[in-house]
This record gives sequence, structure tokens and C-alpha cells, in this order.
Amino acid sequence: MTELTVRTRTTPAGPVIELAGELDHASAPDVRALLPGLALGAGQQLVIDLSGITVCDSSGITVLLAARNHALAARAGIALAAVPARVSRIIHIVGLDRVFPTYATARAAEAAWAPPSAHP
Amino acid sequence: MCPADGGDSGGDRAPGKQPGDDAAFAALLEDSAEDLYEHAPCGYLSTLLDGTIAKINTTLLDWLGHARGDVVGRRTFSDLLTAGGRLYHETHFAPLLRMQGEVSGIALELKAADGSRLPVLVTSTVKTGGDGQPLLIRTTVFDARDRRAYETELLRARREAEREREELKRLNATLQQTLLPPALVSVPGLNVAAHYHIASADKVGGDFYDLFPLTDGTWGLFLGDVCGKGATAAAITSLARYTLRAAAVYDPDPAAVLSNLNTVLNHEYNGTDPRFCTVVFGLLTPDADRDGFRITLASGGHPPALLIRADGSADFLPTPGGQLIGVLPDAHIATTTVRLDPGDTLLLHTDGLTEAHTAQLGDGDRYGDEALLDFVRALGPTTAAHTVAAVRDLLDTFGTGVDDDTAVLAISVPRPPSEEQQ
Repeated sequence: MTELTVRTRTTPAGPVIELAGELDHASAPDVRALLPGLALGAGQQLVIDLSGITVCDSSGITVLLAARNHALAARAGIALAAVPARVSRIIHIVGLDRVFPTYATARAAEAAWAPPSAHP
Repeated sequence: MCPADGGDSGGDRAPGKQPGDDAAFAALLEDSAEDLYEHAPCGYLSTLLDGTIAKINTTLLDWLGHARGDVVGRRTFSDLLTAGGRLYHETHFAPLLRMQGEVSGIALELKAADGSRLPVLVTSTVKTGGDGQPLLIRTTVFDARDRRAYETELLRARREAEREREELKRLNATLQQTLLPPALVSVPGLNVAAHYHIASADKVGGDFYDLFPLTDGTWGLFLGDVCGKGATAAAITSLARYTLRAAAVYDPDPAAVLSNLNTVLNHEYNGTDPRFCTVVFGLLTPDADRDGFRITLASGGHPPALLIRADGSADFLPTPGGQLIGVLPDAHIATTTVRLDPGDTLLLHTDGLTEAHTAQLGDGDRYGDEALLDFVRALGPTTAAHTVAAVRDLLDTFGTGVDDDTAVLAISVPRPPSEEQQ
């Protein structure tokens, strides 16, 4: 059974959470627990890189929603990067493709981010 | 492992040895082998090959409450055992001893003079003479009361745990039952069938469905899936069920029903541990000529329903853009309207079915939407009862591959009797 590997890194655009393995009922609390410790400023963007995800069930969806709530509370944005086809299908069925901007890579998500000063 | 006072002053003196110890050692040396035998912290006995007790120590006599004269030459070892112990001795212990010359650590029960039982661990060896012929049997007997009490306690704890597990399973099953309608109501001109597959007896799942009458001869139906399992999921399932029924009475428009549910759940569960459900809600309106139904389906992020037509064709009934219920303040609800004519069947399901692990089929190792579509295409034309029975059989073939609960609800409009006979 592959477990979930979580790595976080910081970019000028904001933190990036890299997830690999199984995002499910067992691993979801770990990811939720690290959200409050993220250095996420107003106007920044939280990116969740899903490139290594093999399993994402409904508990995994709650993690994405918790991350979104966290970002909204910090008046920051959120984006998904490198969403595998299976996860993309689930996100589409539950209608969250309207809620999460999605990019091919974390780098593309960073590039798309505009510093707060760019917004009037 | 050096004693703390062993240091460099050690020499030939034992660490910590005091002058007074010499007297103690002298007393120990005078401890005779005879006294050690008689008062050893275990029981000793020697028996002839026929089991007759030839010698027994005081320790064992004291445990049993017998006088030496009542035992030596008068009783066999077997006589000291309980009826069960005697049987075991005759059938296992003694034959093994004859074959191997030694038997060790066998748990038996001795019967004391006052009738009480003494659990013991028995080890016996056969003493042989110079010519290899067996002469007698030497036996040591250890008091196993503490050990037996410990084992009994372990057994009791284990039985208790098993009982509690059974009780939990029973409670889960009961709770699950309360989350489902006891029986689906009968709708004139409509066949209805449903099935709930429980994936785990230990945790309550979060799938739900219902079918119920509304005013003006219309009917409401829903089927949904709460994320997660266990007590919290069950609480949300219960809230979702009652909210859906109440909301449908208040305003039966399917999109409005799901919007109301979204508002209720969003107020109740959000923040760091968001909970959501996906639901299909349908409003069934009988045609004026009563030979079919108009169905408006609203979907909140739920897998699309399947429509199997009377001509055998089948396809998903997409409701694109509908969003899951409970986490987004203004969740978008997608609706679609279809007619269900005689011979048509509508199937609603939760994704426990399509997410089931399967060895043979595509979409990774999961059953998948395409396989489900092929499956119902092979069924058509069909009926609600037949479709649900077929899905039930399908779930059975997956066995433990179904790792999430699965609910299916099907409705169909019967063909006229003249057509059914063809």
C-alpha cells in the first residue's frame, strides 16, 4: 500500500504543496493538519501539485476543499497543478472544475500568478 | 552489566559482600538434598511404570491436602487428576512419555483432598537402568494458578472484545437501516427497485436514497452519497435525508430542493474539515394519460443517471456543471428533464459501483463508467427489478473489490400487458 508523500516549498507566488501517493481517508487528516502552518499571505496563491497522486477519493476532495477554505480565509488564491486524469474526472463530476483554476504544472501556476500590486 | 560498587577495589570479594554473609552461606551449605526435595518450590513425585506413586514430596502433599500414607503405594498419578485430566493423561500424556521418554510443560488439573482443583504444569521423564530398560517415572509439578488466572482473564477479555465487536456491527447495521426507507412506497404506474450494498460491517456508510409522495400526485426521489464513513457521515446522511424531504414539501422544484440542502449543510459543516455530499433529486410527474412520467432530475455533483430505453438503447443522462452539495455557498445545480415511457428504465447509482476494484476491466483497476454503460446496454430493454438484481449480482462478482458502500435505485414504466406477453 503506497502512502501519501507530502512536500511543501515556498515560491514568491506563495506555498506549493506537492502530494504523491494515495490521498484518501487515511492520509487526508495529515494534509489538513499542515494547512495552518503554511506561510500564505493575502494576495498570494496556494498551489497544490497533484502530479504524483494515484488515488483520490471523496476524503481527498475534502482536502482540496479545506485548502480552498484556508486560502480564502487568508484572502489568497488557490490553484491545482498537474492533475492526473482520474482525479480530473472526479473533480469534473463533482463540479469543482469551476472552482479550482488548474494548470499543467506548478511552474505554469506560478507564472499565471500576478503580484497583488498588479491588481488595482 | 558491572555492579555499581564493583569498582577497582574488587579483588576476590564478591561485590557488596558483608562479614555476616559467611554465616548465611554456611547455613545454605548445610541445606540437605533431602530437605530441598521435600520442601522445593515445586511438587516432585516418582511413580512406578504402572503409575503407582512410589515417592512424593511434602510440597505436593501440602498442595493436595493428602497424608503421605494415603498416597504412596496406594494411588497412581492418574488418581490425583481431575476426570478430564485423567482422560488426557491416558490418551496423550502417558503414550507420549512412553514414546519419547520425556514430556514437558503439559497443563493438567490436580484434584485436592477437599475437592478443589489445582491447575498445574507437569513435566515427566523416564529414568532408565544401565541396560536402557525403563525403571520409573520422575515428575515435577508446578503451580499454575497465577498463569491459569492470567489465561482465563485473557480469554474473558477476548470474548468481551468479540462481543463488543458483534454489538458494534449490530448497531451499525441498525443505524444503516434507519438511514434507508424500510420499504419503497408503491407508485401507481411505476416499478421501483433499490439495493444497498454494505462494504464494511464496522463502519456506517454514507449512501442514501428515498422515494416519497408529494402533493398533486407527484413524487420525489433522491439518491446520494455523503463523503466519508462512520458516525459523522451517518449524522450528515440523516440530516441530508430529512432536509431533502422537508425541502421538497416546501418547494418541489428539484434545483430548489438541492439549493436548500446546500444551504443547510454549508451552515452546519465547513471550515477545516469540510463535509459534502453528492445527490440526484428527481421530481416525477405522471402523464395525464397515465402511461408514463415526466422526470426532472437535478444533480449536485453526482455521477449521471443511466437511461435504458424500451428499444434496448442506453446512455448516461448528463447533468453537466452540477456541483457537490454543502461546501460552496452558491453551489450550481444542473437539471435535465426526460420522459419515461413504457419499457424505459432509469438507474441511479453511487460511485461505490464504478470505483470497485476489478481484476479484468479497464480504467486502471476500477470498474469505471464505460464498463457500467456496456453492462446496462447488455441488459436493455429491462425493468427496474431486473436492473437492480443484475447490479446486485455484479457487485457480488466484485466481492471484496467493492470498498465503498453502493446504493442503486431504479424506476421503470411497465409495458402494456399486451406487449409484455410478447
